[in-house]
Amino acid sequence: MSMARLDLRSPVDTSGPTPAAGRPLLTARGLTVDMQLPGKKSVRIVDGLDFDIRAGERVALVGESGSGKSVTARALMRLDRKARLSGELTFDGVDLQRLSEREMNRYRGGTIGMVFQDPMSFLDPLMTIGDQVAETLRIRGVGRHQARRRALATLDELGVDRAAERLDSYPHEFSGGMRQRVVLAMAIVAEPKLLIADEPTTALDVRVQEQVLDVLDDVSRRRGLAVLFITHDLGVVAGFTDRVIVMYSGRIVEDAAVDDIFAAPQHPYTQGLIQAVPRIDRVSERLFAIPGAPPPIFARPEGCAFHPRCGQKFAPCALRQPALEPSGAGRVACHLYSSSER
Amino acid sequence: MAATSRPKATRALALSPLEGFVLALLLLLLAMVAAGPILAPDTVYTSDIVNALQPPSAEHWLGTDDQGRDVFWRVVVGARATLLSALLVVTLYSMIGVAVATIAAAGPRWLDETLMRITDLGMALPSMIVALGLAAALGASLQSAIIAMSLTGWPITARILRAVIRQTSEAQFVSGAQVLGVSKWRLMTRHVLPNSLDVLIVKWASDVSTTVLVLAGLSFIGVGAQPPSAEWGAMIAAGRSYVATAWWTVVAPGVAVAVTSIAFGLLGDIIQVRNDPSLREA
Repeated sequence: MSMARLDLRSPVDTSGPTPAAGRPLLTARGLTVDMQLPGKKSVRIVDGLDFDIRAGERVALVGESGSGKSVTARALMRLDRKARLSGELTFDGVDLQRLSEREMNRYRGGTIGMVFQDPMSFLDPLMTIGDQVAETLRIRGVGRHQARRRALATLDELGVDRAAERLDSYPHEFSGGMRQRVVLAMAIVAEPKLLIADEPTTALDVRVQEQVLDVLDDVSRRRGLAVLFITHDLGVVAGFTDRVIVMYSGRIVEDAAVDDIFAAPQHPYTQGLIQAVPRIDRVSERLFAIPGAPPPIFARPEGCAFHPRCGQKFAPCALRQPALEPSGAGRVACHLYSSSER
Repeated sequence: MAATSRPKATRALALSPLEGFVLALLLLLLAMVAAGPILAPDTVYTSDIVNALQPPSAEHWLGTDDQGRDVFWRVVVGARATLLSALLVVTLYSMIGVAVATIAAAGPRWLDETLMRITDLGMALPSMIVALGLAAALGASLQSAIIAMSLTGWPITARILRAVIRQTSEAQFVSGAQVLGVSKWRLMTRHVLPNSLDVLIVKWASDVSTTVLVLAGLSFIGVGAQPPSAEWGAMIAAGRSYVATAWWTVVAPGVAVAVTSIAFGLLGDIIQVRNDPSLREA
């Protein structure tokens, strides 16, 4: 609309040179999410997370269903009304918890983009692709024609064939893989600095999965876009990310570079996850599975939440919660590596 | 592409006998609304006492009324008053209902609660009685009846739409748009509302049906259209005293009201069945 509002990015000035790689973009310290469940007291879904995401870095957040990884992702965008956040959460020096809802709306889509699992239901069935991609810009005051041009450029960049002809098509006219590209275009058209991808390939078939990952890989490299990739698929993690954060029952149990995670997993839970990946280079009778199931969030065991399922547990595991401490090249929360227990 | 999709398209367009019948009726009504006053002789509003209460004949297909006016042409001309008024009423109160539901859904919680309690109140009161009182207070005329019915008809629309909006708000594309920073109000008007309005299509058709009845009812009671005008309810009221000797003065407009009401009611059913394949017979 007005020319004064052409700044599409965050309230923070980003017009200078790109931030030096390595500077923390997102910082979480003791990030805790409590959720009010109907009829129950509030439940602590995410408990004291400490992590950074650096500019341009690609981080995987890995864990079983119910480990709190999606809740964490949604907390970074303050999406759940019923969730109560505590701890520290800053993005580029801005305390996200202190922003008003209106200011937060400028962050959503503008500075932090997000894509979800199911591209089919993510798109408004009654709006054309072009309008939907352009909407991210239109709500930030970009004029109609410019928004459309940039939407087209982004769709082109993401490899949507004949994008120009298909701007006025509706979502049902697109295939799953193309739809996921459209969703991705919506998330990155306003040039965010961080993209949160919540299992973006889970609903797609393997071949399309790979194409979408390639596209994501390309675009994040080209734009220096940091990506927080939420997944339970370690195969996807291996090919795409720099660093892996493993979550179990609402806490971080291990945080290490991707090569280290696969070569030398430290936490028994991480070891179990990696053993559970089916491999074609090894003949095996049956797949490995970690015995037992994750504890329900409202009845976590005393001590380390993983100890009832752990094959390497010893005395302190049932008594004290291990802290997340530096170990090897990364960080791990396990008494096996804890200086005070050895 | 056109060639391959053709058989399917023809099947979807093929009309069942009932659908054909309803469509024909609606086209007939439309023709009456559009061309009635042009085709009708000038005498539909002028009295000709000498020829009063003539039975149906070749000259007067449905006889004449107590003023000697041709009943057939008065019914034809009356379609405009009745149908256009009914459409206007439904349009007006649907707009109120949509606005109330949208504001309730997008606004803060207390506003939602307040608006929905007012809606409950509106649904608890019999709208015909309220409309009757309101129309009488505004002075008996067709305009008063239209205003009164518009002001009393919206609660059910608001209530249904509010429920559907709540359901649509759960859809993933809504959280998808929210994640991009779309504000609550825009989310509601640009994404949620367009995806919720389809429930009202069926309701619109059947609403026209009931509104035709109620409007004719109000005119019959005397708070709607007034006697000289060719409105079906008013015609029935005028013919009431002669029903024993000149039945056609009451039956003709009565049948017109019934047929119109039934036609729109069936239209609603047809739209519903066509939109929901599970209701369609194999």
